[in-house]
Amino acid sequence: MALTFKLFAVISALTLLAGCAAQPRYTWCKYDCTLYDHYKNPAQNDDFIEELKEAVMKSEAAGQVPPGLYAEYGYVLYEKGDSQTAIQYFQKEADKWPESRVFMAKMITNAQKGYKKKEEVAKPNTAGAEPNQAEGGQTEVKK
Amino acid sequence: MSRIAGLFLITFVMVLSGCAHQVELSKQEKFLAAAPRSILIVPVVNNSVDVAAAEYVLSTLSIPLGEHGYYVFPVNMVKRVLEDDGLADASLVHSSPTSKLAALFGADSVLYVTVNQWNAKYMLLNTQVNVALDYRINDAKTDDILWSHHQNMIYNSNQGGGGGGGLGGLIAQLIVEAIHAAITKGVPNYLPLANQANTLALLSYPGNGIPPGPYATEEKELSPRTDK
Repeated sequence: MALTFKLFAVISALTLLAGCAAQPRYTWCKYDCTLYDHYKNPAQNDDFIEELKEAVMKSEAAGQVPPGLYAEYGYVLYEKGDSQTAIQYFQKEADKWPESRVFMAKMITNAQKGYKKKEEVAKPNTAGAEPNQAEGGQTEVKK
Repeated sequence: MSRIAGLFLITFVMVLSGCAHQVELSKQEKFLAAAPRSILIVPVVNNSVDVAAAEYVLSTLSIPLGEHGYYVFPVNMVKRVLEDDGLADASLVHSSPTSKLAALFGADSVLYVTVNQWNAKYMLLNTQVNVALDYRINDAKTDDILWSHHQNMIYNSNQGGGGGGGLGGLIAQLIVEAIHAAITKGVPNYLPLANQANTLALLSYPGNGIPPGPYATEEKELSPRTDK
Protein backbone atom coordinates (compact mmCIF):
# COMPACT_ATOMS: atom_id res chain seq x y z
CA MET A 1 0.00 0.00 0.00
CA ALA A 2 2.85 2.35 0.89
CA LEU A 3 4.43 1.62 -2.45
CA THR A 4 1.27 2.46 -4.36
CA PHE A 5 1.14 5.67 -2.49
CA LYS A 6 4.76 6.58 -3.16
CA LEU A 7 4.26 5.87 -6.83
CA PHE A 8 1.20 8.10 -6.80
CA ALA A 9 3.15 10.85 -5.03
CA VAL A 10 5.97 10.71 -7.55
CA ILE A 11 3.59 10.81 -10.49
CA SER A 12 1.74 13.72 -8.90
CA ALA A 13 4.97 15.63 -8.46
CA LEU A 14 5.96 15.03 -12.06
CA THR A 15 2.58 16.08 -13.33
CA LEU A 16 2.59 19.22 -11.26
CA LEU A 17 6.15 20.10 -12.20
CA ALA A 18 5.27 19.68 -15.86
CA GLY A 19 2.30 21.95 -15.24
CA CYS A 20 4.51 24.57 -13.59
CA ALA A 21 6.91 24.67 -16.51
CA ALA A 22 4.32 26.48 -18.65
CA GLN A 23 2.03 29.31 -17.64
CA PRO A 24 -1.64 28.44 -17.90
CA ARG A 25 -2.85 29.09 -21.40
CA TYR A 26 -6.24 30.46 -20.35
CA THR A 27 -7.94 32.20 -17.45
CA TRP A 28 -10.49 29.57 -16.40
CA CYS A 29 -11.66 31.19 -13.15
CA LYS A 30 -12.53 27.88 -11.46
CA TYR A 31 -14.65 26.67 -14.36
CA ASP A 32 -14.54 23.20 -12.76
CA CYS A 33 -15.94 24.37 -9.42
CA THR A 34 -18.54 26.52 -11.19
CA LEU A 35 -19.82 23.51 -13.12
CA TYR A 36 -19.76 21.22 -10.12
CA ASP A 37 -21.61 23.70 -7.91
CA HIS A 38 -24.21 24.02 -10.63
CA TYR A 39 -24.77 20.25 -10.73
CA LYS A 40 -24.87 20.07 -6.98
CA ASN A 41 -27.33 22.96 -6.55
CA PRO A 42 -29.25 23.22 -9.81
CA ALA A 43 -31.80 25.49 -8.15
CA GLN A 44 -29.25 28.28 -7.72
CA ASN A 45 -29.12 29.05 -11.41
CA ASP A 46 -28.48 32.76 -10.89
CA ASP A 47 -25.20 31.97 -9.10
CA PHE A 48 -24.15 29.88 -12.06
CA ILE A 49 -24.92 32.73 -14.48
CA GLU A 50 -23.06 35.22 -12.28
CA GLU A 51 -19.98 33.01 -12.01
CA LEU A 52 -19.87 32.46 -15.76
CA LYS A 53 -20.28 36.18 -16.37
CA GLU A 54 -17.42 36.94 -14.02
CA ALA A 55 -15.24 34.33 -15.71
CA VAL A 56 -15.96 35.88 -19.11
CA MET A 57 -15.07 39.36 -17.88
CA LYS A 58 -11.89 38.30 -16.07
CA SER A 59 -10.59 36.13 -18.88
CA GLU A 60 -11.37 38.83 -21.45
CA ALA A 61 -9.46 41.36 -19.35
CA ALA A 62 -6.51 38.97 -19.25
CA GLY A 63 -6.81 38.27 -22.99
CA GLN A 64 -7.01 34.53 -22.26
CA VAL A 65 -10.58 33.43 -22.84
CA PRO A 66 -10.70 29.62 -22.64
CA PRO A 67 -12.46 27.49 -25.27
CA GLY A 68 -16.18 27.05 -24.66
CA LEU A 69 -16.60 29.86 -22.15
CA TYR A 70 -18.36 32.41 -24.39
CA ALA A 71 -20.77 29.71 -25.55
CA GLU A 72 -21.37 28.42 -22.05
CA TYR A 73 -22.31 31.90 -20.89
CA GLY A 74 -24.38 32.54 -24.01
CA TYR A 75 -26.33 29.37 -23.40
CA VAL A 76 -27.40 30.24 -19.86
CA LEU A 77 -28.61 33.60 -21.19
CA TYR A 78 -30.49 31.78 -23.94
CA GLU A 79 -32.15 29.50 -21.39
CA LYS A 80 -33.11 32.54 -19.39
CA GLY A 81 -34.83 33.96 -22.46
CA ASP A 82 -32.28 36.59 -23.46
CA SER A 83 -31.74 35.28 -26.99
CA GLN A 84 -30.38 38.54 -28.31
CA THR A 85 -27.40 38.67 -25.95
CA ALA A 86 -26.99 34.90 -26.23
CA ILE A 87 -26.48 35.26 -29.99
CA GLN A 88 -23.70 37.80 -29.38
CA TYR A 89 -21.81 35.33 -27.21
CA PHE A 90 -22.36 32.43 -29.61
CA GLN A 91 -20.91 34.71 -32.28
CA LYS A 92 -17.92 35.56 -30.09
CA GLU A 93 -17.24 31.85 -29.58
CA ALA A 94 -17.45 31.26 -33.35
CA ASP A 95 -15.13 34.19 -34.08
CA LYS A 96 -12.51 33.05 -31.61
CA TRP A 97 -12.65 29.28 -32.19
CA PRO A 98 -13.10 27.99 -35.76
CA GLU A 99 -13.73 24.50 -34.32
CA SER A 100 -16.98 25.75 -32.77
CA ARG A 101 -18.53 27.27 -35.91
CA VAL A 102 -20.81 24.38 -36.93
CA PHE A 103 -22.33 24.18 -33.46
CA MET A 104 -22.53 27.93 -32.98
CA ALA A 105 -24.23 28.44 -36.36
CA LYS A 106 -26.94 25.97 -35.29
CA MET A 107 -27.36 27.61 -31.92
CA ILE A 108 -27.56 31.08 -33.45
CA THR A 109 -30.31 29.86 -35.79
CA ASN A 110 -32.17 28.33 -32.85
CA ALA A 111 -31.80 31.47 -30.77
CA GLN A 112 -33.04 33.63 -33.65
CA LYS A 113 -36.19 31.52 -33.90
CA GLY A 114 -36.71 31.93 -30.18
CA TYR A 115 -36.11 35.65 -30.48
CA LYS A 116 -38.61 36.03 -33.31
CA LYS A 117 -41.23 34.15 -31.33
CA LYS A 118 -40.73 36.57 -28.50
CA GLU A 119 -41.06 39.54 -30.85
CA GLU A 120 -44.35 38.19 -32.20
CA VAL A 121 -45.69 38.05 -28.67
CA ALA A 122 -44.29 41.59 -28.37
CA LYS A 123 -42.50 40.99 -25.12
CA PRO A 124 -38.85 41.79 -25.77
CA ASN A 125 -38.26 42.88 -22.19
CA THR A 126 -35.89 40.09 -21.24
CA ALA A 127 -32.82 42.02 -22.37
CA GLY A 128 -31.19 44.48 -20.05
CA ALA A 129 -29.03 42.25 -17.87
CA GLU A 130 -26.11 42.74 -20.19
CA PRO A 131 -23.73 45.70 -20.36
CA ASN A 132 -22.95 45.58 -24.08
CA GLN A 133 -26.33 44.77 -25.58
CA ALA A 134 -26.13 47.88 -27.75
CA GLU A 135 -24.02 46.02 -30.32
CA GLY A 136 -26.87 43.52 -30.85
CA GLY A 137 -28.22 41.87 -33.94
CA GLN A 138 -25.15 40.13 -35.38
CA THR A 139 -26.65 37.27 -37.20
CA GLU A 140 -24.27 35.59 -39.63
CA VAL A 141 -21.48 33.25 -38.63
CA LYS A 142 -18.30 34.65 -40.12
CA LYS A 143 -16.16 32.36 -42.24
CA MET B 1 7.40 -14.89 2.81
CA SER B 2 5.03 -12.03 2.27
CA ARG B 3 8.00 -9.93 1.20
CA ILE B 4 8.82 -12.39 -1.55
CA ALA B 5 5.19 -12.38 -2.58
CA GLY B 6 5.28 -8.58 -2.65
CA LEU B 7 8.42 -8.56 -4.78
CA PHE B 8 6.85 -11.01 -7.16
CA LEU B 9 3.73 -8.88 -7.39
CA ILE B 10 5.75 -5.75 -8.14
CA THR B 11 7.69 -7.51 -10.89
CA PHE B 12 4.48 -8.85 -12.30
CA VAL B 13 2.84 -5.42 -12.31
CA MET B 14 5.92 -3.91 -13.95
CA VAL B 15 5.86 -6.52 -16.69
CA LEU B 16 2.16 -5.94 -17.17
CA SER B 17 2.52 -2.19 -17.34
CA GLY B 18 5.31 -2.67 -19.88
CA CYS B 19 2.91 -4.57 -22.11
CA ALA B 20 0.11 -2.10 -21.60
CA HIS B 21 2.45 0.68 -22.62
CA GLN B 22 3.15 -0.86 -26.00
CA VAL B 23 -0.52 -1.42 -26.74
CA GLU B 24 -1.27 2.19 -25.90
CA LEU B 25 1.54 3.50 -28.04
CA SER B 26 -0.10 2.03 -31.11
CA LYS B 27 -3.33 3.71 -30.06
CA GLN B 28 -1.54 7.03 -29.89
CA GLU B 29 -0.38 6.45 -33.44
CA LYS B 30 -4.02 6.34 -34.47
CA PHE B 31 -4.66 9.49 -32.51
CA LEU B 32 -1.70 11.26 -34.08
CA ALA B 33 -2.85 10.23 -37.54
CA ALA B 34 -6.39 11.52 -36.98
CA ALA B 35 -5.01 14.70 -35.31
CA PRO B 36 -8.33 15.98 -33.93
CA ARG B 37 -8.45 19.72 -33.19
CA SER B 38 -11.55 19.54 -31.04
CA ILE B 39 -12.82 17.16 -28.37
CA LEU B 40 -16.49 16.84 -27.45
CA ILE B 41 -16.76 16.00 -23.75
CA VAL B 42 -20.02 14.13 -23.27
CA PRO B 43 -21.72 13.29 -19.93
CA VAL B 44 -19.96 10.69 -17.80
CA VAL B 45 -21.45 7.25 -17.11
CA ASN B 46 -21.44 6.35 -13.44
CA ASN B 47 -21.28 2.70 -12.38
CA SER B 48 -19.96 3.49 -8.91
CA VAL B 49 -21.73 3.72 -5.56
CA ASP B 50 -21.06 7.46 -5.25
CA VAL B 51 -24.02 9.25 -6.84
CA ALA B 52 -22.01 12.41 -7.55
CA ALA B 53 -18.96 10.71 -9.10
CA ALA B 54 -20.01 11.49 -12.68
CA GLU B 55 -20.24 15.19 -11.85
CA TYR B 56 -16.82 15.31 -10.16
CA VAL B 57 -15.26 13.86 -13.26
CA LEU B 58 -17.31 15.75 -15.87
CA SER B 59 -16.56 19.10 -14.23
CA THR B 60 -12.80 18.55 -14.21
CA LEU B 61 -12.16 17.44 -17.82
CA SER B 62 -12.26 20.77 -19.71
CA ILE B 63 -9.37 22.53 -18.01
CA PRO B 64 -6.68 19.86 -18.52
CA LEU B 65 -7.77 19.23 -22.12
CA GLY B 66 -8.03 22.93 -22.96
CA GLU B 67 -4.63 23.60 -21.44
CA HIS B 68 -3.29 20.64 -23.41
CA GLY B 69 -4.13 22.55 -26.59
CA TYR B 70 -7.53 21.27 -27.73
CA TYR B 71 -10.74 23.06 -28.43
CA VAL B 72 -13.16 21.70 -25.83
CA PHE B 73 -16.88 22.19 -26.28
CA PRO B 74 -18.81 23.88 -23.44
CA VAL B 75 -19.63 21.00 -21.10
CA ASN B 76 -22.90 22.21 -19.62
CA MET B 77 -24.25 23.55 -22.90
CA VAL B 78 -23.51 20.22 -24.61
CA LYS B 79 -25.20 18.33 -21.78
CA ARG B 80 -28.32 20.48 -22.03
CA VAL B 81 -28.50 20.28 -25.83
CA LEU B 82 -28.20 16.48 -25.64
CA GLU B 83 -31.01 16.41 -23.08
CA ASP B 84 -33.18 18.46 -25.43
CA ASP B 85 -32.42 15.91 -28.15
CA GLY B 86 -33.70 13.09 -25.95
CA LEU B 87 -30.26 11.96 -24.78
CA ALA B 88 -30.60 12.76 -21.09
CA ASP B 89 -29.12 9.41 -20.07
CA ALA B 90 -25.31 9.31 -20.26
CA SER B 91 -25.22 5.62 -21.15
CA LEU B 92 -27.54 6.33 -24.07
CA VAL B 93 -25.08 8.99 -25.25
CA HIS B 94 -22.20 6.53 -24.90
CA SER B 95 -23.98 3.87 -26.92
CA SER B 96 -24.95 6.07 -29.86
CA PRO B 97 -22.53 6.18 -32.83
CA THR B 98 -19.74 8.72 -32.44
CA SER B 99 -20.16 10.03 -35.97
CA LYS B 100 -23.83 10.88 -35.41
CA LEU B 101 -23.10 12.52 -32.09
CA ALA B 102 -20.12 14.49 -33.37
CA ALA B 103 -22.09 15.71 -36.40
CA LEU B 104 -24.52 17.49 -34.07
CA PHE B 105 -21.67 19.65 -32.82
CA GLY B 106 -19.15 19.60 -35.64
CA ALA B 107 -16.62 17.90 -33.35
CA ASP B 108 -13.50 16.06 -34.54
CA SER B 109 -13.56 13.54 -31.70
CA VAL B 110 -15.61 12.52 -28.68
CA LEU B 111 -14.35 11.72 -25.18
CA TYR B 112 -16.27 9.09 -23.23
CA VAL B 113 -15.50 8.60 -19.55
CA THR B 114 -16.98 5.91 -17.32
CA VAL B 115 -16.58 5.81 -13.54
CA ASN B 116 -16.41 2.16 -12.52
CA GLN B 117 -15.41 2.64 -8.92
CA TRP B 118 -15.52 5.52 -6.47
CA ASN B 119 -15.44 4.07 -2.96
CA ALA B 120 -14.55 5.85 0.24
CA LYS B 121 -13.78 3.73 3.27
CA TYR B 122 -13.81 5.71 6.48
CA MET B 123 -11.77 3.92 9.13
CA LEU B 124 -10.75 5.11 12.54
CA LEU B 125 -7.55 6.90 11.57
CA ASN B 126 -7.60 6.66 7.83
CA THR B 127 -9.79 7.41 4.87
CA GLN B 128 -9.16 5.40 1.77
CA VAL B 129 -10.66 6.28 -1.58
CA ASN B 130 -10.50 3.83 -4.47
CA VAL B 131 -11.13 5.19 -7.92
CA ALA B 132 -11.32 3.36 -11.24
CA LEU B 133 -12.06 5.23 -14.46
CA ASP B 134 -12.22 4.30 -18.14
CA TYR B 135 -11.37 6.88 -20.80
CA ARG B 136 -11.96 6.53 -24.53
CA ILE B 137 -11.65 9.00 -27.42
CA ASN B 138 -13.37 8.06 -30.68
CA ASP B 139 -12.93 9.55 -34.13
CA ALA B 140 -15.85 11.54 -35.53
CA LYS B 141 -15.34 10.35 -39.11
CA THR B 142 -14.60 6.66 -38.67
CA ASP B 143 -16.08 5.91 -35.22
CA ASP B 144 -12.72 4.21 -34.43
CA ILE B 145 -11.20 4.32 -30.97
CA LEU B 146 -8.27 6.73 -31.22
CA TRP B 147 -7.09 6.33 -27.65
CA SER B 148 -8.21 4.64 -24.47
CA HIS B 149 -6.94 4.32 -20.95
CA HIS B 150 -7.90 2.70 -17.69
CA GLN B 151 -6.98 4.80 -14.64
CA ASN B 152 -6.84 3.39 -11.13
CA MET B 153 -6.07 5.49 -8.10
CA ILE B 154 -5.91 4.75 -4.40
CA TYR B 155 -5.85 7.63 -2.00
CA ASN B 156 -4.94 7.17 1.68
CA SER B 157 -5.39 10.02 4.11
CA ASN B 158 -2.88 9.00 6.79
CA GLN B 159 0.23 8.62 4.69
CA GLY B 160 0.95 12.24 4.02
CA GLY B 161 4.73 11.98 4.45
CA GLY B 162 5.66 9.82 1.46
CA GLY B 163 7.15 10.76 -1.86
CA GLY B 164 10.82 11.30 -0.99
CA GLY B 165 12.69 14.59 -0.63
CA GLY B 166 13.44 17.53 -2.88
CA LEU B 167 11.10 19.93 -4.59
CA GLY B 168 9.15 17.11 -6.24
CA GLY B 169 8.54 15.47 -2.89
CA LEU B 170 7.44 18.74 -1.36
CA ILE B 171 5.04 19.51 -4.18
CA ALA B 172 3.65 16.00 -4.08
CA GLN B 173 3.06 16.43 -0.41
CA LEU B 174 1.26 19.73 -1.02
CA ILE B 175 -1.06 18.11 -3.56
CA VAL B 176 -1.73 15.24 -1.21
CA GLU B 177 -2.47 17.69 1.57
CA ALA B 178 -4.88 19.62 -0.65
CA ILE B 179 -6.74 16.45 -1.50
CA HIS B 180 -6.55 15.38 2.11
CA ALA B 181 -8.02 18.66 3.40
CA ALA B 182 -10.84 18.44 0.89
CA ILE B 183 -11.74 14.87 1.71
CA THR B 184 -11.68 14.88 5.48
CA LYS B 185 -14.29 17.61 5.84
CA GLY B 186 -17.85 16.68 6.77
CA VAL B 187 -19.00 16.90 3.17
CA PRO B 188 -16.10 15.56 1.13
CA ASN B 189 -15.01 17.54 -1.88
CA TYR B 190 -13.64 15.17 -4.44
CA LEU B 191 -12.88 17.74 -7.14
CA PRO B 192 -9.10 17.80 -6.47
CA LEU B 193 -9.03 14.02 -6.58
CA ALA B 194 -11.07 13.89 -9.80
CA ASN B 195 -8.83 16.53 -11.30
CA GLN B 196 -5.79 14.48 -10.37
CA ALA B 197 -7.22 11.32 -11.95
CA ASN B 198 -8.12 13.15 -15.17
CA THR B 199 -4.73 14.80 -15.39
CA LEU B 200 -2.90 11.52 -14.82
CA ALA B 201 -4.98 9.72 -17.42
CA LEU B 202 -5.04 12.35 -20.15
CA LEU B 203 -1.88 14.43 -19.90
CA SER B 204 0.85 11.89 -19.15
CA TYR B 205 2.58 12.20 -22.49
CA PRO B 206 4.85 10.60 -23.43
CA GLY B 207 3.19 7.83 -21.48
CA ASN B 208 -0.42 6.75 -21.38
CA GLY B 209 -1.91 10.18 -22.20
CA ILE B 210 -2.79 11.92 -25.44
CA PRO B 211 -0.34 14.10 -27.42
CA PRO B 212 -0.63 17.90 -27.07
CA GLY B 213 -3.30 19.53 -29.23
CA PRO B 214 -3.10 22.15 -31.99
CA TYR B 215 -3.19 25.20 -29.71
CA ALA B 216 -0.17 23.86 -27.82
CA THR B 217 1.84 22.98 -30.91
CA GLU B 218 0.92 25.95 -33.11
CA GLU B 219 1.44 28.55 -30.41
CA LYS B 220 1.90 31.44 -32.84
CA GLU B 221 -1.46 30.87 -34.45
CA LEU B 222 -3.31 31.41 -31.21
CA SER B 223 -3.70 35.17 -31.27
CA PRO B 224 -4.12 35.89 -35.01
CA ARG B 225 -6.89 33.29 -35.15
CA THR B 226 -9.33 35.78 -33.70
CA ASP B 227 -9.78 37.08 -37.23
CA LYS B 228 -11.08 40.52 -36.54
